[in-house]
Amino acid sequence: MAQVLRKYFRLFSILLKTSFIADLEFRVNFTLRIFTDIMWYMMQALSFEVLFNYTPHIGDWDRLQMRVFLGVLFVVDSLYMIFVQDNADRFADKVRKGELDFILAKPVSSQFLVSFQKVATASFGNLLIAVGFLVYALMSIEDFNWYRLFWFFLILPSSFIVVYTSRFFFTCLNLIFVKSESVQFLWYNCYKLGMRPDSIYFPFMKLILLTVFPMAFVASVPARMLLEPPNALLIVWSLVIGPLFLYISNKFWNYCLRYYASASS
Amino acid sequence: MRQFFKRNLAFAKLGIQTNLEYRFNFLIDAVVQPAMTGSIEIFLWLALFAAVKTDTLNGFSKESYLAYVIWSSFIGRVAISWMYEHLMMEEIETGSINAIILRPMTFFEYYLSQLLGYKFIIYFCSMLVPLCVTLYFNLPTDLSRFPLITLLVFYYLIFVHAMSFLTACFAFFLNRVRSFTIVKNFTIYIMSGELFPLDLLPEFWKNLFLKLPFSSGVYIPVGYVTGRLGTDMVMQGFINTTIGLVVVLSISYFVWRKGLGSYSGTGA
Repeated sequence: MAQVLRKYFRLFSILLKTSFIADLEFRVNFTLRIFTDIMWYMMQALSFEVLFNYTPHIGDWDRLQMRVFLGVLFVVDSLYMIFVQDNADRFADKVRKGELDFILAKPVSSQFLVSFQKVATASFGNLLIAVGFLVYALMSIEDFNWYRLFWFFLILPSSFIVVYTSRFFFTCLNLIFVKSESVQFLWYNCYKLGMRPDSIYFPFMKLILLTVFPMAFVASVPARMLLEPPNALLIVWSLVIGPLFLYISNKFWNYCLRYYASASS
Repeated sequence: MRQFFKRNLAFAKLGIQTNLEYRFNFLIDAVVQPAMTGSIEIFLWLALFAAVKTDTLNGFSKESYLAYVIWSSFIGRVAISWMYEHLMMEEIETGSINAIILRPMTFFEYYLSQLLGYKFIIYFCSMLVPLCVTLYFNLPTDLSRFPLITLLVFYYLIFVHAMSFLTACFAFFLNRVRSFTIVKNFTIYIMSGELFPLDLLPEFWKNLFLKLPFSSGVYIPVGYVTGRLGTDMVMQGFINTTIGLVVVLSISYFVWRKGLGSYSGTGA
């Protein structure tokens, strides 16, 4: 097991290096990518800041708590941008051009290679900004219990896995449908469900977002870990949900591969 | 002139046919996506009104905001261009633009007519959803105001396409310009009033955004159809769009000429 992990870690470090070299080739694009993400963060923050001029609370949270929620959202989103987005976006092309053949033929997990072949190194800058924003938001809260960061870091991998697997499910659909660009945009709309605090949804929908389609784990649940006393049920569930969704995503990937007709052969 | 309209009608038909080819894709694009966006925003506004415990916010009722949110998700979807801008960039980046500039038409009109054809079909198919929602929930919507906002939205689309054309022209000088599209469309998203109604902004910002052409894409048409704004604002929208169009087209023409001068047609 340790050997396998070491092999994948080494493989990932090589992929990271080649991605960095490739990204630096287009320097204007590299800089603009950081800028576009900052704009996206500003958009999210601005929409809540404007609304809080008219109300003291949205759902369960006030302005300062909502900033913590946004900080968590930015951190999870930047992780998604770094590791997942580029690969998911390029997957349809790989299927259409038959490049997937080369990935399937390699002696490593095809899901791993498809998911993490390209690392968006420009987004590391965004991760720093996101972490900075989160720290600022936490420092603005009076009497914040810094020990709660432990629960946050415990749950953060599950949040990332939920974002990754949910996008991966939609990405896999490229193997089944000939043209599925809009399906990929549909994922973004599902992601939007997680970009709003779970307390704005009615109870049944909130339950769905915590269980079957756990987009509440994107930011709401980790933010609750920082803002509220630890909830044992949520912590246990978040520890289960990560491995469970990884397992289901792998099964789904293998199922969808049956539809792949190898365009280049 | 007849020839011009005939060929552009053919381009518009091409835009419609290309997008209707994959119906599932079209359905998601035209209906599911804006419906989901609208629904999520409605939840947010309902939570907001539950917190303020009043019937009005900044002079407008809860129903007025809900109508705004549902209409802005759909009109905002129409008044933006992603796909054709990427196509134009790709043509320039890969050199396949050669096949277009050799034909007796312009690169600009070829994609403009396709965009208008595509948006035409999206507009009329997707509008049924907010129409049904607003009628069912009795949200404030004045149906007699539709012809004017349709005209404004499609006029604004010409401006949107001019910006797309300008953005795509940068592909003559830079290898990857896709981030330009994201920056531009995010800016439009905020300034058009799709993110939130512009009247919630402080007076200075509201006045500034209303003087720019972007508000003609979402805020003015949605505000007009939901009864927030009068006809004078729509006329102002037409004027702002015209000024924006003249400015963007002038810059585009200059960048296009410069770009063609430096272009070496490697994809030929």
